[in-house]
Amino acid sequence: MRILVVEDDLVTQGFIKKGLTEHGYQVEVASNGQDALFQALEMDFQLIILDRMLPKLDGLTVLNTLRSANKTLPVLILSALDSVDERVKGLREGGDDYLVKPFAFAELLARVEILLRRQPISASPQSTLIQAADLKMNLLTRQVWRAGREISLQPKEFQILRYLMEHPQQVVTRTLLFEAVWDYDFDPQTNVIDVHVARLRKKVENDDLPPILETIRGVGYRLVDKTTS
Amino acid sequence: MALVTGWLTKQRASFVWRFTLLYTALLITLIAVAFFVLYQLSVGEISRSYQQQIQFITQQQRVFNQQMSPSEYLTQFTNQAEQLTNLILAYEDKNATYGRLTSLPNHIASCPAQTTFLVDNTNDLRLYSGCIESLSNGRLLVAFDDENLYFLQTQFLRAGVLALLLTLGLGILSGRYLSTQFLSRIKHINDTAKIIQSGDLGARVTVSDRQDEFDLLAGYINRMLNQLEDSFHAVSGVTDAIAHDLRTPLGRLRLRLESHLTTLPEHPINESQLQEMLEELDHILTTFSAMLELSRLEHKQAHSHFNLVDINQVAEDVIDLIQPLAQDKQQALSFIASRPCYLQGDKTLIFRAMFNALENACKYTPSGGVIELLTTTAGFIVKDNGPGIPDEFKDQVLQRLFRLESSRTSPGYGLGFPLIKAIAQFHHGKIELKDNHPGLQVHVTLNMSHPIENKKDAVCSKS
Repeated sequence: MRILVVEDDLVTQGFIKKGLTEHGYQVEVASNGQDALFQALEMDFQLIILDRMLPKLDGLTVLNTLRSANKTLPVLILSALDSVDERVKGLREGGDDYLVKPFAFAELLARVEILLRRQPISASPQSTLIQAADLKMNLLTRQVWRAGREISLQPKEFQILRYLMEHPQQVVTRTLLFEAVWDYDFDPQTNVIDVHVARLRKKVENDDLPPILETIRGVGYRLVDKTTS
Repeated sequence: MALVTGWLTKQRASFVWRFTLLYTALLITLIAVAFFVLYQLSVGEISRSYQQQIQFITQQQRVFNQQMSPSEYLTQFTNQAEQLTNLILAYEDKNATYGRLTSLPNHIASCPAQTTFLVDNTNDLRLYSGCIESLSNGRLLVAFDDENLYFLQTQFLRAGVLALLLTLGLGILSGRYLSTQFLSRIKHINDTAKIIQSGDLGARVTVSDRQDEFDLLAGYINRMLNQLEDSFHAVSGVTDAIAHDLRTPLGRLRLRLESHLTTLPEHPINESQLQEMLEELDHILTTFSAMLELSRLEHKQAHSHFNLVDINQVAEDVIDLIQPLAQDKQQALSFIASRPCYLQGDKTLIFRAMFNALENACKYTPSGGVIELLTTTAGFIVKDNGPGIPDEFKDQVLQRLFRLESSRTSPGYGLGFPLIKAIAQFHHGKIELKDNHPGLQVHVTLNMSHPIENKKDAVCSKS
């Protein structure tokens, strides 16, 4: 997986490159809009992390040019501009996700992984059944089973679990969960999501079954499959 | 001399003076033209008519002189000279002078050129204008009494000069009046601007009761200054708040890092310590973003796109989100929906206002408390039976970074109520804090002017 990181602040660029490389990605970097555009058009990448404000060529211009050149690869916009308008503008220009600085690297990584494994399991309309680890979910009847035993969930708990099951083994941050389940575009900045996940966990991880919802401190959650490992 | 040129230069720079000068010059030209026309129509006309008469008489006498015998002509001439009162006729041949004059002056030009001369009328010297026509046997003088016309001319000239002088005087006086009256007001505005430039933002232009153009201008300037001053205060308020609320935790973080650095060889930093520092930093960043957002909302820079928002749907989403928090504290959280449920607004902001109000209620109401969310025709109400807020603090909690615990040790940012207030105002609404006896009622009004009735007229019931 090749990722192009476009960021003019070299320290930030270095940390992103280091972090992504440690997670097994091949990373190329660019420090200005012109270089970024050249590399993105010449080379083959699976994802671009694009700073909004760049020297020589503005990030949105780069994005716009790429989209005009029929480059459909996912683009994650990084920006210090956090107003709703800026976010809307970035996404309208063809960005796939928008992350405001300062951000936690874990948040960036989680979003990168979700963008790279874009097609969730439920993408095809026919599949009404999702399976992850020893969990099974019927989207039509809204039933959930763990190891064959049915679990009864509240609507929001069901949606949270569904999102986690659609992104198995991936770190899902609180903000991602909130955006996906509540569909409001802001960061609630409280532990309220943790409370929801705790309730979900209580229902999913009962009895003698091994824990399945892993908490990654300060970041979010991951649905792990300990039964097979 | 230098004094005068200096004064002139100073006056020339003034708009009112230039205007007055131009105006006066125009008026003088107008009066001069009027006088010229008047002169031509009166004095000029009389003079021209006299000349025509002279011409006529001269021609007549020439014809008579040619056709008549000398004696016949003399008789005719004497009659004519006696009959004409407004003209004097004199005829001189080789022998004698006939008519009204004793002799013909020598310096008088031949007709049609005219010469002015004095005639001694026994005890009265009078001015006459006329010419001499040479006839076959002698010379004929025809002249008219110029005294009256001359007098008229002089009077006319005098009146003209007087009028022009008066105009000039009036122009200068009105110019002086205008400069003192109007320039003083402009000068007042200029002086105020200077005071503001020197740093006193509180200075304002005085507005009189006359409501004239200057008062309008002063009003506009004052309103602009008020807004600017508000913005300055807001900026300095934010700066102070940032200094206060961010410096303390930043300082704490700095001290912690420093102490870790100095004790590093003996006590290597461990994961939980790093985690704590990261959390502290996140807290600082959150406060910072929240304050930025608040400022932006308060100054309407976050131009969000308003849509029709189903306020009951938003309320249900908030309840869904916050219910577990309430349940963990054994609080009874209930929602009572209103009937008209559509509002023009920003869905996310309304959600946040509601969430903040409910989260506050959950946080400050003790275990086992009762919390109610009610949507109304134009907003929502959150009621709790917690400790409430004393009346003297009700205004203060709406100001940013004010927290009831003066120590600021319990978690929270002091930005919850200010954010609700900013969101309400962004929707042209307001927030009111009331007593619930016991507890607190938070009344939030959004879009006070136009709540939109549910088009289907259906009851927006609680699902």
